[in-house]
Amino acid sequence: MAGASATGVLSQLSQLEVEARSRKTQPQQQQQQQQQSRVKELKAKVEALRAQRDQLKAEIETHKHLQKLRESLDKQSTHEEEEEEEMEQDSEHSQLLRLMARHTQLDDLLYAHHIIGGYNVTKTRQGKGVYVSLATAYDGVFLETYNLEIDLKPTLRISRHNVPPFIPLNSLAEQNNLQTNIRTFLDTLSQHLNAFAGRKQQLELLKELHKSVEVMESNVLCSILVLLFNLPKEKTAVLCTLDYTDHTRSLPTRVHFESEDKKLPDSPEWKKNCSLLKETPVHKALITMKKMGNIV
Amino acid sequence: MDDSSKRLLQRLVRRIPAQTLRTTLEKWGRLTAAQQRSMDFTEPKWALTEKLLAICEENGFTAKHITELEMTNVIDNPNQGMWYAFQLMDPEDDANSVELTQFKEQFKSHLRELVRPVSVKIKKHTDEAVWIRIAWGDSFSRPNHLKPTYVVHHLQTPYVFVTSLTSKQKPLLSQALVLSARYRAIKDANLSGRKLTAIRDLLMRKYQQVFPTMYPSPLGERNQVDSNPHIEKEQAEPAANRLQMACEAFGDGTLPQLQSVVYKLETKFRDHTNKTMTEREESFSCVVKFASTNLLESLRHCASSGIASTPVTPLLSSILQKGRNYFVITDNGSGPSTQTRQPQN
Repeated sequence: MAGASATGVLSQLSQLEVEARSRKTQPQQQQQQQQQSRVKELKAKVEALRAQRDQLKAEIETHKHLQKLRESLDKQSTHEEEEEEEMEQDSEHSQLLRLMARHTQLDDLLYAHHIIGGYNVTKTRQGKGVYVSLATAYDGVFLETYNLEIDLKPTLRISRHNVPPFIPLNSLAEQNNLQTNIRTFLDTLSQHLNAFAGRKQQLELLKELHKSVEVMESNVLCSILVLLFNLPKEKTAVLCTLDYTDHTRSLPTRVHFESEDKKLPDSPEWKKNCSLLKETPVHKALITMKKMGNIV
Repeated sequence: MDDSSKRLLQRLVRRIPAQTLRTTLEKWGRLTAAQQRSMDFTEPKWALTEKLLAICEENGFTAKHITELEMTNVIDNPNQGMWYAFQLMDPEDDANSVELTQFKEQFKSHLRELVRPVSVKIKKHTDEAVWIRIAWGDSFSRPNHLKPTYVVHHLQTPYVFVTSLTSKQKPLLSQALVLSARYRAIKDANLSGRKLTAIRDLLMRKYQQVFPTMYPSPLGERNQVDSNPHIEKEQAEPAANRLQMACEAFGDGTLPQLQSVVYKLETKFRDHTNKTMTEREESFSCVVKFASTNLLESLRHCASSGIASTPVTPLLSSILQKGRNYFVITDNGSGPSTQTRQPQN
């Protein structure tokens, strides 16, 4: 209530006091005049409120109309064979409404695309460039978003980005021919980024959940991982090397065990562990191995 | 322990502040618990040096152990001295799959072929960086442990950070690095600073960049300070625009701490009021240097408060975008420096 606080409560009270006093001392005529002007004020207010109500009613009508149109549009896009609903008049008014309905449909479609992690493309600098953002996710959790700024003229060129340097952005652009097939380039880049995000997340979860397993070696690309397992019964240690040579996957391509006990890697138990680590994410595989009693 | 090792230890203890000395000794891990306890870090430095010398004699340590201690100290406190960044160019096909043991062996053998004698120590730090300490010797003298070169490299990235390298040693180190990391060339990245963490974060893009998006992410909303509702800022919109453009050029949140940026101008003098200078044929060579304790933070503030005009000029925004703080500007536009800067010792 900006008005109330501007004048203050005490000043309002004093105003009321003045009015009350003047009502008592005023002659009849003045009072009548005051009442008439007050009635005029109230009538004007009633008119204004009526006009506002009519406007709101019209807005509600348009909104209902739009919703109906939107429903029919949505139905049309799912059932192609249905005939178009007859409109009352094909006037400018209804065409505009139809466009508005289509606009809201497209907006919602874009938003849905954004929520499921699709690429977002935004125009910039009066159409001279676009911003593309790629989302990464692993195991149902959204991770980092990476952005590229691409200049459109004279040729497509990546000018700004926050992709880390160990993802070979430039060679991917060359290989997939950024100029002609931007979709393939974005898809391959997204594959690399998602796989990297997945491997990084697995490493984080491993460090968090399995404090008894020591990480001997890792690298920024998370493409190599060397772990030290302690065996419960034999009190020996097993060194496990996970090679993620395919950078578009978040599972290792090669698993190698090394131990003082030379026969250990060839035992059927550890051969099973080898294939387990190749098929399940490492933090989950370690839970299974702990349950089976293979490692501490 | 021979004299040179003693001198090395004395110099080392003199340089390290007492508190850091305690943590470094613990991390080094070569003193027994009793010996560690017997060191009283409130004593003056000369007393600590004597004590440590005695302990090292007792344990029979050699120069090898002292250099290990020095390396532990540098790895823990990397933000000293001047670090220079280099970039490896033209990777071979297997550059991306170089693994640690391979790199270590290759580097040591290549360097030993080029320089003899040389003392090389390689250590893999927990943040996936490879640390190399090199003490150079030549045909007349043994490796000089008092002036070692430190090199930091992250495998699978083309960046190398070096401190304390002379111009004579540079080609030897470059050769060894290029061969062992499986690239074809190395060049100066034109980025230097006192804080290794800052220049590393800059090149690895570990700072927060700002990009315009259609849908702001649901969790990353900036908490606006609840200002007094009775106060209305006249310039609220232009201020918000300036802040947005400043953040786009310089990033959001904490920025890597660079100390300076140098622009070397080789352009013609342009000022209509000064005829004599403008009429000169040759270019006006001039060096402009901006220095600050946190350069990027101050430049961002300049842009957001309106002191520097927005949109931010590419001369300033290229510091972050290209990851360099040394630029040579000619009349055709700024380009890569034609001469490499000599890293000083």
